[in-house]
Amino acid sequence: MIRNYFLRHAQVFFYTLGQLSRTPVASFLTVAVIGITLALPAGLYVALENVQRLARGWEDNGQISLFLKQDLSDADIEKLSGKIRKLPAVSWVDYISRQAALAEFKKLSGFGDALGSLDRNPLPPVLIVHPAGSHTRPDALQSLLKDLRRYSEVELAQLDLEWVRRLYAMLDLAKQGVLILTAGLAVAVLLIIGNTIRLAVLNRRDEIEIIKLIGGTNTFIRRPFLYSGAIQGFLGAIMAWLLVGLGLLILSGPVHRLASLYGSLFVVENMGFLATLALIGTGGLLGWLGSRLAVGRHLQAIEPR
Amino acid sequence: MIEFTHVFKRFPSGFDALRDINLRIEAGEMAFITGHSGAGKSTLLRLITAIERPTRGEALVNGRNLTKLQRRRIPYFRREIGVVFQDHKLLLDRTVYDNVALPLIVTGADDKEIPKRVRAALEMVGLLDKERMYPVTLSGGEQQRVGIARAVVNKPPLLLADEPTGNLDSKLSDEILDLFLDFHHHGVTVLIATHDPHLIDRARQRVIELNHGELALDSGAVA
Repeated sequence: MIRNYFLRHAQVFFYTLGQLSRTPVASFLTVAVIGITLALPAGLYVALENVQRLARGWEDNGQISLFLKQDLSDADIEKLSGKIRKLPAVSWVDYISRQAALAEFKKLSGFGDALGSLDRNPLPPVLIVHPAGSHTRPDALQSLLKDLRRYSEVELAQLDLEWVRRLYAMLDLAKQGVLILTAGLAVAVLLIIGNTIRLAVLNRRDEIEIIKLIGGTNTFIRRPFLYSGAIQGFLGAIMAWLLVGLGLLILSGPVHRLASLYGSLFVVENMGFLATLALIGTGGLLGWLGSRLAVGRHLQAIEPR
Repeated sequence: MIEFTHVFKRFPSGFDALRDINLRIEAGEMAFITGHSGAGKSTLLRLITAIERPTRGEALVNGRNLTKLQRRRIPYFRREIGVVFQDHKLLLDRTVYDNVALPLIVTGADDKEIPKRVRAALEMVGLLDKERMYPVTLSGGEQQRVGIARAVVNKPPLLLADEPTGNLDSKLSDEILDLFLDFHHHGVTVLIATHDPHLIDRARQRVIELNHGELALDSGAVA
């Protein structure tokens, strides 16, 4: 009995595949439209993932510079540095003395001679605070920054990568946007499949009538249409995956060149295994659902005459 | 098998297709429903197959009350009835074999049973050698016989036919009638709507005549 059930489903599956392959152009067009529709949110998702991965690299350098008051002694600074190092949010602290800062500035700025003419070193001592790995999120950094500002020895505390925070906010916004877009395009896929299946149902009106007359249940009549919708959605999702992959392939060269100009080893990555699975599953599910909605509506209307 | 008590059928347009029909057909009986076109023959068959519902009265078919039959039970109800149509209603994109196998597939018959039963039905109508052909390549009489094979492949206790010989010459009509008589002799209840007097004369079975939706004549059961 169970074996029979699976056999029936396998038969319907292959029958439906046969039906689809008998109208290759129409089937391909439907699959292509679904593919392009799904490729848009999938592509944006991959782009966002890559930007986020890139930002995560910068975030590791999300260090806080503490510019200290000029008149502190080395012992004071050592004490402060010790206190900060013990904070749970802090991984380690670098100390750049006034002399070291001056030397570095001379080397990097090219103003060496001009600085030599100053009668005293204008640069403050600096502590570079590296946050612990667990505290690199923008909000954690912000609260650490607030804590550090409370020390009286600190003249100015500055989050070096304030803009990373802004980037994160933008990425969050973009994610929401992709989500909304995805929802909209999912509805579009439902409509595309629904329309395709509607036409298929109307095309096979006579057959449906006959099957109803000889005692076919709605479940039985629905089945090939549901398979048809699911298969087309599934193939559409694979098409979307291929389109995204192709897009990345085209972009990977220029991105690599751009990254190497910045001395970065960044390479674009395609969506991971789970995301691919989710994309293909969503495609199949949307196909099934779109078909179910369309068939449900039109099957009621077709009664034997 | 069929029991109608004061059955009325009025269409939404207000037209009374059937008026006060009282009818009892026993299991294993054979009967012809006749009458002018528009007399209500087809409507009667459509009530029996639950395509339409009676507006008044009580209709029992194969133990089911048609006025109370739930919509989702209709497919199961129809599996007990074989129907032969004037235009045979075959699927033109499928072979003779696949057409006849359709009721078995629809009802989820065992896979090993299907070929046996399809061939048995095709043998009964004398088309065993045409199973691989498509309906359009067959003659009108052959197409109708495929339709009959499809109607009986499930071995239904009740066989209905709506003008089964309407498009056929008299020789072919006789062949088709012989098939129905054969099913009748095997205990199947057979109900044929026709306005072909030749068919009725030859069969010598019960005749039920309708006139403007009313029962005009019922010859009663033939011994």
